[in-house]
Amino acid sequence: MGRRLTAGIAVLLAVLAMAVPALSLTVNEVAREVRCPTCNTPLDVSNSPAADRMKIFIADRISKGDDKQEIIDALVVEFGRGVLATPPKSGFDLLAWIVPIVLVVGGLAAIPFVTRAWARRRADEPVPEIAPEDAARLDEELRRRDP
Amino acid sequence: MPPSADPEEVGGDRRRLIGLIVGAVVAALIVALLVVGLVNRGTSTAIDDALEAGSRPPAPALTLPVLVSGPGLPPVGEDASLSDLKGKVVVLNLWASWCEPCKEESPVLEQLWRANREKGVVVLGVDIQDLSSDARAFIEEYGLTYPSLRDGSDDAKSALEATGVPETYIIDQKGRIALHIAGPVTSPAQLQGPIDQVLAEK
Repeated sequence: MGRRLTAGIAVLLAVLAMAVPALSLTVNEVAREVRCPTCNTPLDVSNSPAADRMKIFIADRISKGDDKQEIIDALVVEFGRGVLATPPKSGFDLLAWIVPIVLVVGGLAAIPFVTRAWARRRADEPVPEIAPEDAARLDEELRRRDP
Repeated sequence: MPPSADPEEVGGDRRRLIGLIVGAVVAALIVALLVVGLVNRGTSTAIDDALEAGSRPPAPALTLPVLVSGPGLPPVGEDASLSDLKGKVVVLNLWASWCEPCKEESPVLEQLWRANREKGVVVLGVDIQDLSSDARAFIEEYGLTYPSLRDGSDDAKSALEATGVPETYIIDQKGRIALHIAGPVTSPAQLQGPIDQVLAEK
């Protein structure tokens, strides 16, 4: 009982030691979700004047207590949906997510059919006739090996 | 009697043909998408080409929200169309608050606006790639009184084939582009001559 309690306390202490206080929302966390309108790169890796202004805008909204989605929504109001780094997972834009998955799954599913068709085609191919001199040589070799 | 074809072989051939057609269609679609993507990536130069050839291409039909209203334009926040200004000479200027040359250029445009507004000329700013709060602060800081529209989605930039800011266009009374200047307008004289020339065509 005592040993179990000690082990439990040790595990608890280890977990507490590993726990690091989580950072609150950072500018980069929001910036990587949108793109810089002048250079078309994700905002977090862009340092154009327009990107700098957008980062200040994000920092300002964070300090006012807005969450990530609220800030992204505000940027969409300013710049349109084209400001999003990835297409939204709804409506017509959902196609951008679904089509690649369908293509990959379809491709993987097609592999057994294609390989079976190839194997069948190879099996159907007629075995080439062996030349008489080659047949005689083969017989001779086999006789010598296995008298 | 001719030997009849093996039905299994005929079926296999048909499947192979269908597979080939489907594959070819998918490949053609992918190539078409790539070509469309590549073509759209490059900025078209049709406007500059037409101007160089001595013709005046029609100005694109733009509808954008008003940032600062002016004669012939709806109130702030409502949508305005370039066609609302048909019959006037429009000096259309693409700008952004973060654009350094725009800071030098805006007093020149303000000067042109004040000197020409009674003659049927509208200096029209179009703020692009910018936060609306920054744009309004810029207008206030530089005391700009000429009207401005706001283009958050780069519609005007694409339609006018602009490569950046600032860029300025003179649009004649018939809604055709008469002049395109890429880069800042550094003195009123740079535009006054062309404005007078287009006004005289009335």
